Amino acid sequence: MSQHAAPADRPLGVGILGAGPVTQAIHLPALARLQDILEVRHVMDVDSAIASSVAARVGAVAGTSMDALLADPGVDIVAICSPHQFHADQVIAACRAGKKAVLCEKPFAMNGEEAARISAVSAETGVPIIVGAMHTFDPGWLAAEQNWGDLPEQVHTIRSSIVLPPNARFEDFATEIITRPAAGQPDYTDIEVIKSALQGGVMGLAIHDLPLVRRFTPDFEQIEVLHVFHVRPFGYAISLKTPTRVIELRAVMNSTWKPEWMFEAIGDDATLHIDFTPSYVQAGSAVATITRGAESSIFGPYGHNGYEGEWRELAAIANGHRPAPSAQALIDDLTFALAIADATVAGAAALHGDAANKAGVSA
Amino acid sequence: MNARYTVSATPEAQPAGAVSQTMASLPATFGPAAGTQPGAADVLVIAGGPGWTAEATRVIAGGARGIVVANPRPEATAELAAAADAAGAAVVLDLRWASNAALVGEAADPDARDAARSALGTASLLDSVATAAPGTDLQRLLGEHLAALLAVCGPLDGVRVLRADATGYTVGGRLANGAPFTAQAVLTAARPAGVDINLYTTDGGVSVQVPDPDAAWPAEVRVTGTHGELLLPTLYESAHRSAWRRLKEHLRAGTRPDDLTGFARLNDLYATLAVT
Repeated sequence: MSQHAAPADRPLGVGILGAGPVTQAIHLPALARLQDILEVRHVMDVDSAIASSVAARVGAVAGTSMDALLADPGVDIVAICSPHQFHADQVIAACRAGKKAVLCEKPFAMNGEEAARISAVSAETGVPIIVGAMHTFDPGWLAAEQNWGDLPEQVHTIRSSIVLPPNARFEDFATEIITRPAAGQPDYTDIEVIKSALQGGVMGLAIHDLPLVRRFTPDFEQIEVLHVFHVRPFGYAISLKTPTRVIELRAVMNSTWKPEWMFEAIGDDATLHIDFTPSYVQAGSAVATITRGAESSIFGPYGHNGYEGEWRELAAIANGHRPAPSAQALIDDLTFALAIADATVAGAAALHGDAANKAGVSA
Repeated sequence: MNARYTVSATPEAQPAGAVSQTMASLPATFGPAAGTQPGAADVLVIAGGPGWTAEATRVIAGGARGIVVANPRPEATAELAAAADAAGAAVVLDLRWASNAALVGEAADPDARDAARSALGTASLLDSVATAAPGTDLQRLLGEHLAALLAVCGPLDGVRVLRADATGYTVGGRLANGAPFTAQAVLTAARPAGVDINLYTTDGGVSVQVPDPDAAWPAEVRVTGTHGELLLPTLYESAHRSAWRRLKEHLRAGTRPDDLTGFARLNDLYATLAVT
């Protein structure tokens, strides 16, 4: 457990591993709204200039060493915002450092073996872990959850539809970004490029809502990918099913100014429809609509989004006011996402050859 | 003053085509025929159930000048088209969604088809969802769904059924520019029946929401681009009335609609797809 005890009235200290656009445009603005309970004390990035610049914005210590951040007694909560491939080892290191809680950006691991290691260390150390699936902390979603009654049992169709402008549009509304990853021109004649794009689509974009999908999919372990379309310049249309559920995932990232982020769970007599606000900007919560027959109940908008919600939850867990989330639920979410990603990539070869489509008809 | 056309409808067509209320909304043009003999009317309304093309051909032989087919299911129309041409009869198809004037309107009016045509060259995905009540005949629903998509988006390539079950179906294929399209049906009593068509392009797209024709609630067509978002003028006219109004114009002008030509394209596609 924690090696130090913060005074009761002192905000919890936050250390951030990785100071890229997500940290700059999402987490720091969210934390700026929670200064009474959380305070950024240490920022680490492999690029010392970025670490220094971002840390200076919030008066935090800057560094390039994860070990130094984990050894900082001012850090109660560690946020892991590094590239995906580092997540598992950093989560484990943060747990072993005896911090009060760990926030890991999604996905928290890239395979089942990593997930099992994390689960074991979390159980051994007792350090709670939250995965940054922000929509599961969105007040609109949480209000729907409180009110949907037996809807999860009667749902037969689930849809996640995401239409987004390039991230830079909303990053620039949220902050003043320093350095962005270079954007290339993908060669979509190369099947490996398409596979990589689809893998990234599932594990980097669809994964935001896959925990919501799984909430309505009791037989999620029997997921089957029916068909995959790669959408240019970036996106996907993936048709899935389980023995009891139909799941359709759609995403388009283009140059539009108009974001649409929608989740639907549909049964014979009731539906849930949620419109989420775009990431990066502090645009309040999702609005959830539950319809039974011809009557609808609307929940939201509330004043904060899921990112702020996850930080509030993290603080409450670190302070012992809320129980830690189930490690098994996090592993199940990850397993579900990995199964979809793997099957999607496997289907990409057929898609590339377009053999399946040539079997169809035209009009 | 123009003549008023007398109308007779089969018992099946009355509810399927909302004949009485539609005729009542065009009272200066159409009125009920006296008596019950269909052959005496200028316009015959028939239901689009199995065998409707043969029935329509017989009606033309009986001397009708105009025919409205309420919600026709896909069938081969070549013989009917030839009979209509030979007799100079106007055959108008009253399609559940595709006849909505917001999809294909008057030549000078902006509509969904024009908006989609402008967008198809840069399309990246067409995603459509049709909603209908539980228990709906999926095969019939697919015909209605594809009719709306063909009306708005034009040719569809490589179309195939990806799944079908008691809750709906998913169909996939490609647009003319190679971009993928998906068309899903969802059966639920918790949403109004209708069809949504979303065409996404490099910088925006076209969004179409078409309601059922049992009331005059308007379809909504929104065009998104660098200019912002434009809502096309809303038309508080049901698909039924739009079809009848087209018939009126053809009867007055002595011209013939091309409904059957377009419907043949739907039939060719539909004949190869099974969702039941």
